[in-house]
Parts: sequence; C-alpha cells; structure tokens
Amino acid sequence: MIPKYITPRMLIIPIALGGILTTVVVILVAVFLLRAWFSTPIQVFGFPGPPEQPIAFPHTAHVDIEGINCAFCHRNVTKGDAATILPVEGCLLCHATVQGENAPPEVAKVVEHYNNNQPIDWKRVHRLPDHVQFSHEPHVRFLTEVQGLELEAACATCHGDVREMVEVEQVRSLKMGDCVDCHRDNEILTDNPDITDCTTCHY
Amino acid sequence: MKISRRDFLRLASFSTLGAVACNFFDEREFVSQSPVQLPEDLVTGRDNWYATLSRQYPETEGIVVRVMEGRAKKVQGNPVYPTNLGGHSVRSEAGLQALYHPDRITGPLLRQGPRGTGRYAPISWDQALDHLRGHLQAQTDRSRVLTVTGPLRGSMAHLVGSFTDGFGARHMAFQPMEDGAYGQVMQDVLGQQAMPTFDFKNASHVLSFGADFLGTWQAPVHFSKGYGEFRQGLGRRHRGTLVQVDSRFSLTAANADTWVPVNPGMEGMLALSIAQVIISEGLVPQDRINQLTGGQGASALEAYAPNIIAQQLGVPPLHGAEPHEVIREMARDFARGGSRSIAIGGCSASAHTNGAFNLAAIFALNFLVDSVGAEGGVVLNPPAPVPELAGTIPAASTGDWSRTIADISNGRTGVVMFRGVNPVNDLPGDVGLRQTLNRDDIFIASFSSFMDETAEMADLILPERAPMEDWGDDVPSPGPGFEVIGMQQPVVNPLPGMNPMGFADVLLQLSREMGLDGAAPLNMPTYHHLLQDQARKIQALERGSVQDADFNSFWNSLLQQGGWWDSNATADSSPAMPNLAEIASRARNPVITGPVGGNTFNLIPFQTVSLADGSGANLPWLQSSSDPLTTVAWTTWVEISTLVADAIGLREGDFVRVEGANGRSFVAQIYHHPAVPPNIIGIPVGQGHTASLRYSKGRGENPLHLLGLPLEEQTQSLAWAGTRVKIVPTGNNSPIPKFEGIVPAFVPNQEEAIVKITRG
Repeated sequence: MIPKYITPRMLIIPIALGGILTTVVVILVAVFLLRAWFSTPIQVFGFPGPPEQPIAFPHTAHVDIEGINCAFCHRNVTKGDAATILPVEGCLLCHATVQGENAPPEVAKVVEHYNNNQPIDWKRVHRLPDHVQFSHEPHVRFLTEVQGLELEAACATCHGDVREMVEVEQVRSLKMGDCVDCHRDNEILTDNPDITDCTTCHY
Repeated sequence: MKISRRDFLRLASFSTLGAVACNFFDEREFVSQSPVQLPEDLVTGRDNWYATLSRQYPETEGIVVRVMEGRAKKVQGNPVYPTNLGGHSVRSEAGLQALYHPDRITGPLLRQGPRGTGRYAPISWDQALDHLRGHLQAQTDRSRVLTVTGPLRGSMAHLVGSFTDGFGARHMAFQPMEDGAYGQVMQDVLGQQAMPTFDFKNASHVLSFGADFLGTWQAPVHFSKGYGEFRQGLGRRHRGTLVQVDSRFSLTAANADTWVPVNPGMEGMLALSIAQVIISEGLVPQDRINQLTGGQGASALEAYAPNIIAQQLGVPPLHGAEPHEVIREMARDFARGGSRSIAIGGCSASAHTNGAFNLAAIFALNFLVDSVGAEGGVVLNPPAPVPELAGTIPAASTGDWSRTIADISNGRTGVVMFRGVNPVNDLPGDVGLRQTLNRDDIFIASFSSFMDETAEMADLILPERAPMEDWGDDVPSPGPGFEVIGMQQPVVNPLPGMNPMGFADVLLQLSREMGLDGAAPLNMPTYHHLLQDQARKIQALERGSVQDADFNSFWNSLLQQGGWWDSNATADSSPAMPNLAEIASRARNPVITGPVGGNTFNLIPFQTVSLADGSGANLPWLQSSSDPLTTVAWTTWVEISTLVADAIGLREGDFVRVEGANGRSFVAQIYHHPAVPPNIIGIPVGQGHTASLRYSKGRGENPLHLLGLPLEEQTQSLAWAGTRVKIVPTGNNSPIPKFEGIVPAFVPNQEEAIVKITRG
C-alpha cells in the first residue's frame, strides 16, 4: 500500500531510473551472450569467407609450391598454447632477397613494414570465445604421435587444406559441439578419462 | 545549461548504447599481430597457477606456481595451506633455479675413471636400473645394503620403509646439524611422536632459549605468520612480548623486546632458575607446584636461586638491574602471561653436550604456567588420520653415523644408495665419510640431480625429478595443531633433453623386478597410483576441507587446494607432568672442547635465512640474498665483537685463520658486530663446497669441519655449539661483500645499550 503523501508524480523518477537500469543490464547480458555466440561464425549461415588481409599472403605459394612446413611460420604450434605468426624479421629471412615472382608489390609491403619497424596486423581467421581455453600443443601431439598424421595433415584436421587456399578461410565450425564430438570420439585413444570434462576447456 | 528529464534519459540511453557498441566492435580480438622482431622463446600465452609443495629445508611449504607455456615462472605461498598460509621462504622461491639449473644432470651416469675423479659416461635408464638391481641382488646378506635419505614423512616414508624392510636393507635418514635432542625431548616431555607447534597468534609472552624461530628453526614461515599476529594482530588488546635468551645475536634476538645473552650451554640452568623464582614467589597455584616438584616445593630447586647462580650463567646487567634481578624479572614476566606464555628452546640451546637437559628444563616451564595444550601456548599435533601416512623417519644422530661409518670401514656394507642428501659435505669432517667411501669393494648409487660432493663419490648416478616435476605428499611437522596432508603434483614436465626419474618410481620398478611387489605399497605400478590409493583412504574419512563422493572430483579438488585438512581434528592427549626435581638432578655443565689461551672464542655456527643448511648453495638467488643482519653475501664471515676486534687490532675484512678443536683450520674474513658477546664468534654454515657446481664451488668455508665430534650425552646428536676455536690474523685484508654499512652507521661507545650488554 503506497502512503497517501506519495503522489504518482513523485514515483516517475524512481520508476524511470529503475527502467533504465533494467534496460542497461538486459542489454549488457544480451550483448555478452550474443557476442560470445556470433563472434565466431555459425555453420548453418555459412562461413564468412576469407577476410581481406593487409598483405595478400598466398599460402599456396608458400606451402604448396615452396614446400614450407606449417611449423616454420607458426613456430609455437608444437610447443605451446598459441600457434603464433612469424615476426616480420622472419619473413625477411627469405624476402630480403626473394622479391616474389607474381606479386612484388606485396613483398615490398613486407619489407616496408620491416624498415618502418611497423608490425603487421593480420585479420584473425579462427578464433574462440574468451571462456574457452585452447592449446595447440596437446592437439598436435595427439594427432601426430597417437594418430600418426604428418604435421600438415594434423593442422588440416581443424583448419582445412590450407595448402590449397590462396586466402585462408574457416572451414569448420569450431563450436563446442564440434570440439566435444572429436574429444568423445578420441577419448579411448588418449588414456585420459577427463578429456570430455567441462574443465578440460573451461577453466 | 538546463537539461530536461527527457534530455537526460535520451543522453543516458545513447551513452549506454555507445559504450556497448564500442565494446562489441573491439578490434583487438580480431587481429593477430606479427611483431617486427620477437625472440624465439618469447610467446604470448596464458598463465596457470598450480598448487604443490616446496620441499626446502627446514620446512615443507604449500606453494602455488605460475606456469606459462609449460614453464614454471614464479613461486608464491599457497594462501590456503594451513602452515605457511600464503607465506613462503626465499628457498622456495629459488626452487625455480634448481628446476632450470644449467648444472642439472640430464640422465643416468656410470662411473668410468677412479672414484671421485668425476669421469662418467651416460647410459640409459634400463641399463642403469639393471646395474643397480644386479648389485642389490648380488648381496647375499641383504643387510649389507644401506639406503640413506633425508628425514621422511607421509607416503615416501611408508614406501621407503616398505622397500627396505621387504628387501632386508638398512635405512638411515640424514640431516645436517640434526637436532635429535629436540625430537627426543619432545617425545619424553609431551609423550607423542608428532612435533608440537606454538600458538604465537594468541600468546602474550614468549621466552625463547636459542630457538631462531623467525630465521631457520623448525618451521620459520609457519612461525612467522603467528608471530605477525603476536605483535600486531587485529583485535589484540596487548602487543605480545618476546624475550630471547641466546649466546648469539640471531635474527629472532634482533626482533625481541629483550635479548639476554648467556654463557653457551647454560640455557637449561637459567630455565631452572626462572622456575625457582616462580615457585619460591608463589606466582602459580600451589597444587601445580606440588605436582611438578613431587611435593618438594621451592626446596627442589633452591640451588638454582638467581643470587646463587646468576654469575655462572653469564647473564649481564640489564637496564640498570643486577643479573639476579634480571632473572627474577624474566620469571615474573613469564608467570604474568599465565597459560598464554610459551617457553621454547632449540638451535644452540640443544646443540651442547647437555642439550637434552637444557630442553627438558626449558619445556618444563610450560607446565609450570599450564600453557601445554592451552590457547596461546604449546599446541600438540595429532598424528595423520591415515595409518600409512602417520609414520616418520627422523634423522639419525651423529653418533649413529659414526657407528655406521665404522661398519662401512670394516667392510660390512656392500651397497649404499644416497637420495636427497649430501653427507660427504655436511657431516663433520672428523666422521670421515669421504675417506670411508673411497674404496673399491662398495657400490654407491646417488639419486642426486646435481654433481655434489656425495654424487662425486658414486658409481652410478640416477638423477631424480625436481620437486616441481614429481608427485608427493607430506604430513607437515610441526603441523598447525590439526590434521593436514599436503599434496605435491608436477607443475611442469622436464625440459627437452632432461631425462630424470622419480625416486619412488625407481623403488617401485625395482620392487617389481625383484619380486617384492606382493603387497601394498610395493605392488603399485607408479607413485602416482600409490598417492591416489592413499587419497581414496582420505576420501573415505568423509570430513575435512575436501569431500566428494566421486573420486575424480575429490582428487582434482585435492590437487587444486594443495592438500586436505580438518581444523576440527586436533590432538586429544594430555601429557603427564614432568618432575622438575628429576630434571634438575640431570643438570650438567656443558663440555666445551678446543684450544685454550689468547684469542680463543666459543664458536657458534649458525644457519642464514637464505643458505640455511647449504643444500641450495648452488643456486645464485640464495647466494646473492644477503644475511638480514650483516647484509653479507656470497662468502663466509666471522662475526666478532667490535670492541674485542678493536682490542686485538682486527679490522673488518681482515682475513684470519680459524683453528678448530681437531687441528683443522680455514681462512675467513672478519665482520665487526656490536652485538656479539666478547667470548663468542659466529660463523655461518652453508658454504665451503668443493664439488664442481658453478655457483658454490670454492666459496667460503664449512665451520662444521672445525668441530671435532662433540656429542650430546643422552641422544648422541651433534653438539655443534660446544667447540672453542682460536683466531690467528694473517695480515691480509679485503673489503667484505656486503650491501650496507660501508660507512659505519654505528660507532660503538661504552654507553650504547647493546655494548653495555655485550662488553662483559
């Protein structure tokens, strides 16, 4: 029962502030959930295709034609969480002398980045939400040591045949269902009963 | 500017949407950057913190280790572990350097040249274990096999005990500067095997005899936590008072309200004198006095009245009071605290020929004020709740070691296995272990990760995993007053190229291959399985800090928390009252051996906070962590009274020859110390290593080699504070490596309080 000395006019401000607060909270929660979901593509809508990179880097020329191993540029992929991308000075190991047959301007951009001490901001192709912990090292180790795959084939398990991609794009959903399917299928091979445990990825 | 309500709502909505939108389109998440230059070993990553145990002398600490990309980066105290409660020692911090030390032995080694010359060839683990097993099985008399480890507790004590019993071998535990007298007296006085702890947090008065409990005695991190509360805990009505009776100015003495220097070895008689005052002045209830004196009352201790004995004790005048009055005041202060007064004794108080008597007299004071088992008093510890974890293997006495070494000399030992200890360096030189081991009819295996002095004598080296790479558990001693089982888990894998193996796993494999695996624990495939088996027994208790019906969840929580404990599970025993008259009948003067005449001093060896017993002397962080009182690092120094040094013309940094009781001597530098009594010199232990480890070889000297072999009469433990040495100047001088006091901050004059105490 509202006391008589409180008029409806006096309630407008508290009700309005409460409404704003509720709206803000709902928006924040919705944004958090949607962001976690939509910031990685959903397979039923199709994948967005390759993003436009600051330098048109062709994996075909490097991997397929020159035969460079994945771990040469992604040096940490067999050792740690992040695969990592070669620093610009690493590109110059070859491109200090190799000018590129098909696209000298793109190679020149790399050299320019190096000379200007300017990092290259590649557009990320594969990403997982913040609440997922993923480490490349145990996955690569399992695929190469237990399943006996070559490193390129191990990488292709999740990333597709990058060797044949001029521009790299996502080919697998990499959503939770995708991870759990694979973990469940391979549970028996890992001798680890915990690989389908929630805390394997969410810790 | 006037803002209407409608404008306000509009602006608020836009700014909220704007903030959300900007957050939504955070570019950084969608960028993967190639930096221009990046060292190979620097990668971006996430850190994980794993709880485990740090096995550093003298206490095992619960720690959490920061691990990035599979590499341990930082050690911190585990905030929930009940003994160290988030604190940790510099020795735990330096565990990282032991893990990644460039001198770590990478795999098994077999001796190639003459013993002690350091020529080894790498072999595989299969070959190494074949060698060891062959030598073990070649012993027709199995008691010719001797296993030497550090003091053991928990599953490791159970496993090693089962292995040696199953095989028929002998087992001895070794600890440098072992304090066998303390362990024995605690069992005699308190009637139980578990070491007690002290409730500093709730105490009002602490009377410590020699025990450097803030530095290196027993469990300094655990005690320091309580001491912090004792001094300035929230909600305390009075700041606790600390009186330190010590013949040397230790770190604890430096923190005390009053430091009372006494003649070395007289601590027990001072305790009896304090008891005499309490009894004769009726400061505690008469029925308790009758119980403790067998009805004799004050007459039981009348020979220890302060006015009779003060001069013999060497108590100096303090604050204008005569020595006998000083003792009376100490007694009144102690009695005033009632059951919140604690008397503790250790270090140099127990390291005399009369050490056991000293400790018995000191700890009897707690019964006088009824502080045993009371809040703010001496807290008894319960045994571990699982029988397999309750056993302990304490360090053998130096007397036992002398007899064992005589056995080895007489050819009654065929195989010796050393694990986690370095007795060739840490036993007094007069025991003669190095010479005894230097023979051909004995096979020596060492599980050391480093080529220390003992490993250098070995035929076979089987490098053990570092604690951060291995499994384990521990029942802390002293515990916090309730049941605790700490868990140790590997936080990293060995580096590529390193091929160590856990000691427990070696024992389990040998047990399998020699057919000893009939029953638990030797039938376990790995130590990991054994620990899980013990964990199931803890789980079955269904109480304590970790409870879960599902074992996997229980095990994970156990590792995550760093152990299991039950703060309600306390000790329920009440020890019998000691008899002060009986203790007084055992009173002895200490026997101090060594040279006599001019420039002779009583030597008090001591452990520093960083190097402690010297087991981590090969770690540069510990070498460079200076002693808190003198700030000296990287060397051995001789602490001598500033006034005495001036009188005999010794400047700071002068090199002097220190001649021991056994004819041995070494050269070390003088450090002027205003707070050293005139008849004392102090020399730190921990240095003096000869083994080829890059950060410790050839640094400083080991004062334990000057002692001869003085033994405590009752327990045969090493009476390391009972030696007199002579100082002979060499005429050489060099600046001493220290961080502070380059310009003297303290010019002693006869009116300074500390000089009045120490000038004699």
